[in-house]
Amino acid sequence: MDLSPGSAFPDLTLPDHASNERRLSDLVAGDPAVMHCYRGWWCPKEQAFFRRLVALQDALEVSYVRVVSLSVDPPPVAAAFRAGLGARWTFLCDPDRTALELLRLRETTDTVYNPYVPAVFTLFPDRTIHAAYDGYWFVGRPTAGELLGDLRAIQRAIRPDWPAPTP
Amino acid sequence: MTWAWFALVEDAEGADLAATMCELDGTPAGVLAAWRRRAKPLRGARRIHDSVLDPDGAAAFVSLVLPPPGVRLPFDDLAVQQARRAVLLDRPADAVSTLLTDASHFEGSVSAFRGADAAARAARDPFARVFPARVLTLAAGLIGRAPAPAGPTIERYGSSQPWPGDRFG
Repeated sequence: MDLSPGSAFPDLTLPDHASNERRLSDLVAGDPAVMHCYRGWWCPKEQAFFRRLVALQDALEVSYVRVVSLSVDPPPVAAAFRAGLGARWTFLCDPDRTALELLRLRETTDTVYNPYVPAVFTLFPDRTIHAAYDGYWFVGRPTAGELLGDLRAIQRAIRPDWPAPTP
Repeated sequence: MTWAWFALVEDAEGADLAATMCELDGTPAGVLAAWRRRAKPLRGARRIHDSVLDPDGAAAFVSLVLPPPGVRLPFDDLAVQQARRAVLLDRPADAVSTLLTDASHFEGSVSAFRGADAAARAARDPFARVFPARVLTLAAGLIGRAPAPAGPTIERYGSSQPWPGDRFG
């Protein structure tokens, strides 16, 4: 599976944190998106990165940007984690690890949880990958500035009215 | 068209979809009706997001939020923004749409809930903190299930669109 910039992120269908079947293309729809794969609620590095995303969500909520977080946690766990974080975006759940195998993102060094390797992708509305971040080492994950820079570049490319309409 | 007209009426003649409502004690509470057309069918009709309408929709508990006569708030009012955030944060309702008549004002909402705790969840509707709400039972044939938007965006996609429509056009 090629998940490098320029490739299309697969159109996964998975249950969300409320157990509704969701298709990634419906979630991303017509906006840029941050696709975020995380190990699980128990990982301190994930908790730290989620705090970064939560701090950013007030800006994202007025930026026409979607966020989707994906892990092997089942919906009740994802829902509880999401509520505890105060995250207002969709969490997708892959407890059967079907998408994990498809994406080839299993963290092979963790044979207890067999989780996703931490990874972040910024996506165009058609799920073309703009940037990919390998978060196995925490500093490999995008900063808030890097995410906003990616999202600005995507919006500039897709919004025909990016230059403000003026007389 | 991504929106339809919506109103609480006594008689739904001419409406494209309609379902009766009752108070929780069974007292009839009128008819919710929808019209899928551009022309406004009634003076008091408001726009609703079309995705929540479904002729095959099952019966539900609904929270119907309507402002007092002559009162309305901008969509950008902090209370209306915060209610949208709360909707995204909580367990998703089966369907939610704000109601509006112009480009910029929040003029109510309708939220449908099903399941064991549906009445209790309807009573916790975040939009009920903005304007008075009634929790009612709604018969089948009007409101279905519409997936929640991805979040965290709470913006409307064009000024004519009721939230939470999640795309332009």
